[in-house]
Amino acid sequence: MCLAIPGKIVKIHSQLATVDFNGVEKEINISLVDVKIGEYVMVHAGFAIEKMEKGHMDELKSYGI
Amino acid sequence: MEYEKILAEIQEKAKKINRQVRFMELCGTHAETIAKHGIKSLMPENIKLISGPGCPVCVTGQEDIDIIVGLALAGIPVACYGDAAGVPGNLGSLEEARQKGADVRIVYDVSEIAGARLVEPLQEQNKPTIFWGLGFETTTPATAWAVANGLMVFSSHKLFSPAMEILLKNKNVKIDGFINPGHVSAIIGTQIYKQFKIPQVVAGFEALDVLRAVDMLSDQIISGKTEVQNEYTRLVKKDGNKKARELINDTFEIVDSKWRGLGVIEKSGLKLKKKYQTQDAEFVYRDLIAKIKKDIKVKPSACRCGEVLQGIFESRECPLFRKVCTPDNPQGACMVSGEGSCNIEYRYEK
Amino acid sequence: MKSNFIELEQGAGGKKSEELISKIRKILDYTGQWKNTADDGAVLDLQSFWTWHVQKGHTTSFSASKLVFTTDAFIVDPLFFSGGDIGKIAICGTINDLAVMGARPIGISLSLVIEEGFPEDDLLKIIKSINDISRETRVPIVTGDTKVTEKGKIDKIEITTSGVGLAGNIISNGGARVGDVVISSGDLGEHTAAILASRFNYKTRVKSDSRPLVKEIQSVAKYLTACKDPTRGGSAAVLNEIAEKSKIKIVLDEKTLPFKKEVVAISELLGIDKFSFASEGRFVATVAKKDADKVIKILQKYNSEAKIIGSVGRGRGVWLKTLIGSQKKIETPRGKLVPRIC
Repeated sequence: MCLAIPGKIVKIHSQLATVDFNGVEKEINISLVDVKIGEYVMVHAGFAIEKMEKGHMDELKSYGI
Repeated sequence: MEYEKILAEIQEKAKKINRQVRFMELCGTHAETIAKHGIKSLMPENIKLISGPGCPVCVTGQEDIDIIVGLALAGIPVACYGDAAGVPGNLGSLEEARQKGADVRIVYDVSEIAGARLVEPLQEQNKPTIFWGLGFETTTPATAWAVANGLMVFSSHKLFSPAMEILLKNKNVKIDGFINPGHVSAIIGTQIYKQFKIPQVVAGFEALDVLRAVDMLSDQIISGKTEVQNEYTRLVKKDGNKKARELINDTFEIVDSKWRGLGVIEKSGLKLKKKYQTQDAEFVYRDLIAKIKKDIKVKPSACRCGEVLQGIFESRECPLFRKVCTPDNPQGACMVSGEGSCNIEYRYEK
Repeated sequence: MKSNFIELEQGAGGKKSEELISKIRKILDYTGQWKNTADDGAVLDLQSFWTWHVQKGHTTSFSASKLVFTTDAFIVDPLFFSGGDIGKIAICGTINDLAVMGARPIGISLSLVIEEGFPEDDLLKIIKSINDISRETRVPIVTGDTKVTEKGKIDKIEITTSGVGLAGNIISNGGARVGDVVISSGDLGEHTAAILASRFNYKTRVKSDSRPLVKEIQSVAKYLTACKDPTRGGSAAVLNEIAEKSKIKIVLDEKTLPFKKEVVAISELLGIDKFSFASEGRFVATVAKKDADKVIKILQKYNSEAKIIGSVGRGRGVWLKTLIGSQKKIETPRGKLVPRIC
């Protein structure tokens, strides 16, 4: 199950963060993860469920996905 | 191009395997990826991809659906995720309850209802909204958060790994490898799968992730290994998300739970802990729920969701499929959810 | 003190109704060549209509022998969104329905059903955006009706527009031929994306694409073998309709899909298929391969995103050639757009 999409942390305000999904910004609950601005998170139903590893992300992007 | 390379490799390896193998994907989103990219059509003849019980809406027990619809029809406001609204029970679906005047709200994010209507002393007129929490470990933390923030919850949450155990015990289920759910694994980690002696790959949800998983499973078959490999390293860590698991453990206790198609599985469900019982719809409305259960007249159905969920039976083999059972008139949960095998088969079948 | 909210009496036919209607009429000040616009029915003298248009140079190249008539009802939540409001889509929708048939719209009727307590300022703002498009396209609002319902009977406001247009050749949606290519007048799905963005509080630069298509379509009409505007049901619905009515197969290429990255992101965030996203100011069409470059060049004057998005072949249905080389079917969307988490 579980549709989730990766996004980039733009701003952090306590439990919430502004996350950028390819030009669409949404407030996301980040209470389940420890993240900094500029890092990527996987978001499911309004919650960041885990931090993404940047190096591994680029690997997929290079295939034009 | 990477795709062509990996597809060619899979073809090569399939020849080496030289027998029919069945890989089961355990996550509805994998089923969707496979369908969306037409991956089945690119597989060698002797590698078959089948769907398992990874759609949370599909595996939710009939009784839970009847209770939540019964509560909504009794005038209690209910909020749920989009997929859950259409699942039919003996009293109809939540969507049908709304057409009859029930207060049913679809949310994308449980925080949409947080703050607005928190649990207050029960009054006839102003009842707090019940959030119907369902899903596996990916979705459970959000429900736990809702509980921590004062919302009333009806929990149909389930744990993922007990279902794998049951599948492996069932002699009718023939599986040569599992594609393990990426986002569930982001929470529970990869260690937990080591108990299962079968080739497993935790995979992401792009087409390439799934192709790689098939490739890695094929390698394991050829070498005779039964390992847990992680293809989804950009997200999934060995130990998973500890913070999320702690929140789940603080909020829920593990109970036996009824799964559609798989029956009651020991220690596979999550109910609110006693300390949260004033927010637990199951406790607060226990008398009403007892009455709902007593009044239920179980409708006979030829729906074979249960066997489809275990990969014993394919959607198209069901006599109802496409004839009586369609996404507009679903006879079972597998046709309702966008992740249900029947729904996907219906939408993507050639 | 005068109330700033619409009252039941304003739809009851008395003096208060008159006052409200005159406020609306004051904004809708363009009636073109139509007469009797305050009577029970508006009248157009066809002979003087032609003479007038020819004198003004509007329709010199336009010879019409067919009358096209259409109607559409509009409800939308929220009423105001990035790139437009319910008024703009109500007039654009009907104008575009005529335009995709190859017709030049000549007059529109406007019916309003308003919920008691609706802010008058919002109403007048909606009417003003209708008038802006009416002026821009020289399509007059010639007749209409206004009703007010009790609070709770409807959701804020419902608008129905009907329109008549004149056409020489009708462009049907059943005329696509094997060997044609499929074109899109711009990127698709931005209307639904903008609506979802405001409903779910997303911040994005994506705006509703709502706009009238008359000029764009007229400029390439003679090349189009089939044409539709992908409103409700999105590109999935209209392409399937063209494929079915024309008895052909449409194949889109995933490499050249007409979706902006923000539209894709919103579709993925909510688990709603982007092919089901509506546009309110775009059209998809089929043209003969030899005309394709010419048509795209003309359309790019209106929208630089206009491009070829697929091809027409023998067979049935709409298919997507995926990045990994497989083909998957694009079905007509079913039911309403509900966000999914799984």
